[in-house]
Amino acid sequence: MDNLEHRLVRCFSSVFPELNEDQIRNASVDSVPDWHSLASVTLISVVQEEFGVQVGLTDLPNLVSFSAVQNYVQHHAAS
Amino acid sequence: MKLIDALAIARRPVAEDASLLRVFLACGFTPLHLETFLSAALSDRSPLERAEVTTGLFGDLAGNIERIQPGDCDALVVLIEWQDFDSRLGIRSLGGWRVADLPDIVNSAERMMGRLEHAIERAANSLPTYISLPTLPLPPLFATPSQQASSYELRLRQSASQFATSLAAQARIRIVSAQQLDEISPTATRFDIQSELSSGFPYRLAHASAIAELLAALIRNPTPKKGLITDLDDTLWSGILGEDGVHGISWHLDQQTHIHGLYQQLVASLASAGVLTAVASKNDPALVEQAFAREDLLIGKQSLYPIDVHWGPKSESVRRILKAWNVAADSVIFIDDSPMELAEVKAAFPEMECLVFPKSDPQAFWQLLRRLRDLFGKPIVSEEDSFRLQSIRAAAVLPSSSNGDANSLDSFLQDAQATVTFTLGKQKDDHRAFELINKTNQFNLNGTRLNDSSWTTYLDDPATFLMTVSYEDKYGPLGKIAVLLGRVQGTVGKINYWVMSCRAFSRRIEQQCLSWLFDEFGLEEIYFDYQRTERNKPIHDFLSSIAAGPLDGDARISRARFVEKCPSLFHQIKATVNG
Repeated sequence: MDNLEHRLVRCFSSVFPELNEDQIRNASVDSVPDWHSLASVTLISVVQEEFGVQVGLTDLPNLVSFSAVQNYVQHHAAS
Repeated sequence: MKLIDALAIARRPVAEDASLLRVFLACGFTPLHLETFLSAALSDRSPLERAEVTTGLFGDLAGNIERIQPGDCDALVVLIEWQDFDSRLGIRSLGGWRVADLPDIVNSAERMMGRLEHAIERAANSLPTYISLPTLPLPPLFATPSQQASSYELRLRQSASQFATSLAAQARIRIVSAQQLDEISPTATRFDIQSELSSGFPYRLAHASAIAELLAALIRNPTPKKGLITDLDDTLWSGILGEDGVHGISWHLDQQTHIHGLYQQLVASLASAGVLTAVASKNDPALVEQAFAREDLLIGKQSLYPIDVHWGPKSESVRRILKAWNVAADSVIFIDDSPMELAEVKAAFPEMECLVFPKSDPQAFWQLLRRLRDLFGKPIVSEEDSFRLQSIRAAAVLPSSSNGDANSLDSFLQDAQATVTFTLGKQKDDHRAFELINKTNQFNLNGTRLNDSSWTTYLDDPATFLMTVSYEDKYGPLGKIAVLLGRVQGTVGKINYWVMSCRAFSRRIEQQCLSWLFDEFGLEEIYFDYQRTERNKPIHDFLSSIAAGPLDGDARISRARFVEKCPSLFHQIKATVNG
């Protein structure tokens, strides 16, 4: 697991503490019942703060899984 | 604090039996991460207690406060932003910013301030209440360019300021310091417009964290320090008295020694607010006497007691001063310009905070002044604070007057012309009584503390009584020096809480309290919720001297036993019943 993925797992874990690492890497809106709108806002806020990215309003609806968030951060976070 | 850390802290497990603080967070926006930050900041300050933060309805700040009922929570936090006064002062409502709309916006905001003031005052009757005034910028609704303040903006700010001033006058209301918030959260980086538009949460995370930290600090207010011991040379004044002479020491702008004048001013201010202030100095006592006779000193000798001057170790002075004050070392700050002296005192009193006086660093000096204000700051200065030092000075007369023959204490007390005033009445906003109950005094029945909520609940119980005791003699007033909380059933009384200031020892006030209770309520027996603590030996010794059996959770004293054991009492008695 690379550093970015490790940090992202930590972000997800802070919002979904009941999930283990494997479940987090496979997490999506459909597979995690607690991934409702409030959790989504909290998760994106944690990710923004952790990686120093600003998620645009139009990008928000696409960030519906761990891999989608991971891709977004890989493309937008400052190296 | 970062949000990820706040989430972890807020979820940290706490013991099942940990005391619970229920905070209602009233705001007109989506509380979202602020709720998390506040919960985390409260937990961080008191890890052994649970904090539970609940919130109300979006967009209805006044309604959220008006719906609060006594018992719903233990503390109320009110976060106000401009749009709570009128929605057109925010960006989520499109109510119009035409020039013709501005007078109505201001008038409507002022009406809402009136409604909020009424609601907050009502809630604060039963709850400690903490208020944060608008922290975000006003939107660009005024016709003036941003560098020019509009008259409407000025009127809004003036009205908001009057609103806060009026609320701050209430004993149970605390207002977040805007100046402090400005320092830890720059105004230009507070507003998150995207978050406001997408979720109704207007704060950037750092700002939400900063507000939560300040609120938590207000709610979990640390106990202020009690005493300050200061050095003289190169601290209270610039220069070495023994070398520079009485007229060579200075504290003025023209001698580049002004920071010492500012320090004198602050120490005098602390003394006037009830902080015990004393001097520990290696010096010639006669010279020090002359120096204190200088009329341009900003702190008089009468504000410093004891002034302990000699050539021995400073820890000896500190020990004598602590004894004269009868306070523990961890309640006291020692200030000296010499790291060696600080180290010597610290070695003798590891629990004492020893701070260096930075005589050559104005910036560090500025931080010292602010630190002292924080260490000694208290929400309210009471009348008793103003005569604390005077009464300690007067108490020094007591042992010397009672030396010698066995009847000398009787003679002294008879000659003291003392008046004890008992007041019965359950005034919830009696700040002094509440403060006394929560002191870790040596004369403390059980060391149990009451928070605002349990204080209110106790007094709301019709079976309970609150008795406060004030004292004055020919040496001066001690003010309100004792508080008793208890219950009476028939001819049996039970004291649940009893705390008396150590300044009132050796005057037989404790015996007079019981004597008055027996008579006032027609009691035949009094029970005590006594518990031994690390510090309450004086009340243990007192109860042991009059109780029939060993002290335990239900210590008791009968009227007959009390009359038999009670020494002569010489006080004049006054009594007042309020409600």
